[in-house]
Amino acid sequence: MATAAAARPKTTGPSVKPPKRTFRPRTLVIAVVAWGLAALFLAPYLEMIITALRPKSELRDRTYLPSSFEWSNFIEVWKQSELGQNLQVTLLVAGGATLLVLLVALPAAYYTARMKFRGRKIFLLLVLVTQMFQPTALLIGLYREFYQLGMLNSVWTLIITNAAFNLAFAVWILTAYIGSIPAELEEAAMVDGTSRFGAMIKVTLPLALPGVVTALIFTFITTWNEFAMGLTLTTDPASQPLTVGINNFIGAYTVQWNYLFAASVVAIVPVIILFAFIERHVVSGLTAGSVK
Amino acid sequence: MSLKAPPSPAETGGGRGGRAPRPVSRRSGLARLGPLPWIAPVILLILFVVVWPVVELVRTSFLNISISGKNRGSAGTDKYKKLFEETDLGAVLIWTVIWTVVVVALTMLISLALAQLFNQKFPGRTITRWALIAPWAASVLMTAIGFKWMLNQTAGVLNTLMMDLGFIDGPQDWLGKSSTAWPWMMAVAIFVSLPFTTYTLLAGLQTIPGEVYEASRIDGAGTWQTYRHITLPMLRPAFLIGVVINLINVFNSFPIIWAMTQGGPGYDTSTSMVFMYKLKETDIGESAAMSVVNFALVVVLVLIFLKVSRWNEED
Amino acid sequence: MRNRVIATGAATLVMALGLSACGGDGDGGGGDDAKGGKTIKVVAADYGTSAADASKPFWDKVAKDFEAANKGYKVEVQVINWTDIDKTVKTMIASGNVPDILQTGGYADKVADDLLYKVDDVMSPKTSANLSKGFAEAGKVKGTAYGMPWVASTRTFFYNKKAFATAGITKVPTTWAEVADAAKKLKEKKAAEIPYALPLGPEETQGETLMWEMGNGGGYKDDAGKYTINSPQNVETFKWLQDNLVKPGLTYPNPASTDRKTAFADFAAGKVGMMNGHPSVIKMAEEGKVEFGMAKIPGKTAPLESTLGVGDWTMAFQDGKAGKDAVKKFLDFTYTKDNLVKFASMYNFMPVTTDASEAMQADPKNAKLKDFFAALPTAKFYPVNDTSWDVVSAEIKKTGGKAASDDPKTVLDDLQKKAEEAAKAVK
Repeated sequence: MATAAAARPKTTGPSVKPPKRTFRPRTLVIAVVAWGLAALFLAPYLEMIITALRPKSELRDRTYLPSSFEWSNFIEVWKQSELGQNLQVTLLVAGGATLLVLLVALPAAYYTARMKFRGRKIFLLLVLVTQMFQPTALLIGLYREFYQLGMLNSVWTLIITNAAFNLAFAVWILTAYIGSIPAELEEAAMVDGTSRFGAMIKVTLPLALPGVVTALIFTFITTWNEFAMGLTLTTDPASQPLTVGINNFIGAYTVQWNYLFAASVVAIVPVIILFAFIERHVVSGLTAGSVK
Repeated sequence: MSLKAPPSPAETGGGRGGRAPRPVSRRSGLARLGPLPWIAPVILLILFVVVWPVVELVRTSFLNISISGKNRGSAGTDKYKKLFEETDLGAVLIWTVIWTVVVVALTMLISLALAQLFNQKFPGRTITRWALIAPWAASVLMTAIGFKWMLNQTAGVLNTLMMDLGFIDGPQDWLGKSSTAWPWMMAVAIFVSLPFTTYTLLAGLQTIPGEVYEASRIDGAGTWQTYRHITLPMLRPAFLIGVVINLINVFNSFPIIWAMTQGGPGYDTSTSMVFMYKLKETDIGESAAMSVVNFALVVVLVLIFLKVSRWNEED
Repeated sequence: MRNRVIATGAATLVMALGLSACGGDGDGGGGDDAKGGKTIKVVAADYGTSAADASKPFWDKVAKDFEAANKGYKVEVQVINWTDIDKTVKTMIASGNVPDILQTGGYADKVADDLLYKVDDVMSPKTSANLSKGFAEAGKVKGTAYGMPWVASTRTFFYNKKAFATAGITKVPTTWAEVADAAKKLKEKKAAEIPYALPLGPEETQGETLMWEMGNGGGYKDDAGKYTINSPQNVETFKWLQDNLVKPGLTYPNPASTDRKTAFADFAAGKVGMMNGHPSVIKMAEEGKVEFGMAKIPGKTAPLESTLGVGDWTMAFQDGKAGKDAVKKFLDFTYTKDNLVKFASMYNFMPVTTDASEAMQADPKNAKLKDFFAALPTAKFYPVNDTSWDVVSAEIKKTGGKAASDDPKTVLDDLQKKAEEAAKAVK
């Protein structure tokens, strides 16, 4: 990525140059420490993959590696559950909630950042308070509400609920981000006859992209991994999200650890792929200055 | 985006919004409706999905609901009384505070170091940053179940590792008793909180102009001095965001403890959130009362922090 | 680069829209059928962990067959993971979304709230006469039958033959002292990592507890139906467990946080010397190639003559949307010999109707279950027909295991107090 950033035409952002960073041995030490930490961060997931590949008979062996890797576990896990269907639901819910959050939060954040209006503080407070309520505490009320509306087992319900619980962070981060973009640029556009909404879309939005991307990733990941609402608001295996589907490997008398972890690994992969696309932009946005 | 690295969100606190909110000057078309068309969708969504169940919750805390789930009528304040008479409540609340403070404090400290480290230039920085993301990309529930699996006395590989390293003589039941379960659960909570926090701080670090360091170096300041007098103060907004988000999330954290110990043995490893969930098994009304208390606590906690940190001092 | 971000966003959108065509549709739980409808909503527990042994296909098949045999009727099946079903059902009832038929672990709490139909209302005399007698009795609250037994299981003592041989144990323990002695030998000879598995974690504390307490003439209630959770016999039982198994390190170090699943899995992996187990252990141990033996559960001075029996139940809700007749039709259709044998065989359960039970015992495939069947007629049960039992059981699951580590008297006194309060609340 360093090369990718270097290849970029010019990076005129503030150049952050921590002092004395050309000192070689120091770089080496930093690299070693960083690589060690990276390994530490990945280790638990590596162990999950190893467990996923264990033959059933060696599941409870306290060894580092099994005698052989059972790659068929990854195929079995698809046959033994509705993973494909669950994955589709999760994709739909995470994608839908992310879009909804952006559609709803962006205008609100924009207006709040740009305008002084009565109730602005109350609005921001309301948003902050939402962040403090966890769905876990509200499950019965949520179930009751969506039952009365006849919306149980619906993808839309999961999209709406997940979006609502992620709004707070998105509004926060977008308000802050847009607030840091000089308003003069849009005003110039508005003098030229563009509406405020048009100015927001054409001028501010592109500049606020890193903020938008951050809010997007945050919402997507949180929704992707959401469990409690998925468990409560859906009961039909075909409309359950992945996290709930995985939970079904925990049964009355046994836990299918190898399948559980195989499915978990499958669940992580799409998020990592999303990161491969988007996180690069975040990182480059974040580091544009230092990697000249 | 590559042409200009806009200041990070960290630079301006969410609470105080834009740097220069300007009064509404020109009124035309949509503008006449004021903020409504812009913020109404957010408010509607919050009212519909969050406030409605909250109202239900508060109502439930005054109801007498049987174990089967049937509403048997009003309970007045009985459920609150019953809650405060629970012998375990005191210990649960104390542990909730310890849990929150320890996890948030260590998360912030470690994230500061990580952000500093990953802000340096070294070979393989991108890949190592990717690794940092893993606990965030994976579901917290799965990570917690993974650790529970690794710490299992009879099947957990961490026991083998620690035996080989000579830390312990034989496999231990780490999650079986509170004295060892708490540190492990705190470690997992910190582990999953690090990516987001580190990224927030990294973003903060990026906003510090290089010239400032330049000047400091010319003044002959050492690395540590530079860090203390320049980096840390300028990192304050990002730091505050990290603390507030973590305070709320860690206080409300449920899956880690639930997956690893279910708050047991007994209530020995329960925070108030887990306690609330366990109460639901026997008394929905009392559990709702606990949720209400819980919410009051998190509000107080966040307010205290905002006050102490003088969040709004620049407003 | 900006374009790429937008492209990614667009791709997500397209994915979302494309998929929405096949996404789940609304459940429409709003209740369009009036009472007396022909749509029967069945909620049942899932006893399996994968497609191979899931309970859903069974119910789906029953539903399909029923619909084919009864034109105009519709059955909606919802199968819920065993660990979640009680919480989910509670949420459903609290929200007014009551199923017509529910199959789960207990029923009496719902009787206390007057939610259930009497068995006579929803089952023809022919079907109900077929229910095994002891269970039919346990389905009665104050003389009226509400619970319909679905499947049953008994508990028995399992031991690892190879481990016993390695440790030089020749006689299968019949008393507590012999259990402790065998456990000591297993530990000394390193024949089993966990000599005796004592799972007192939240999953099934009430089961393991009762099996030990019965060995000392204790239990949850006295003959008069009063809770006796903190009786001297029970306190003594836990003292004995602490002194002879827990403190000497002959079981898991923290029984109160060890779940039954862990114990079963460890037994099937050859790590446990002995334990009290459920019929499902047979299959697991066979798969793990563990040579095991079964015997009567040891008591303090002699083995238990009547072991612990556990039944799971079916019940019908008055507030369901389907008519009483529809429910009756469905239950009569479901409670056939073939269905019950099929379901019980999947999990090594025992059927609870006379003809199904006979059919299953006659099948040589089930020879291994012989002991379990033999123990069934004299088995003792939890006080399932006490309307306060569900609260008491939930409390025992939460804190009961601590009696094996903390002061037993304090723990059991606290539970006794809660039990008495619960008993008072349902009166």
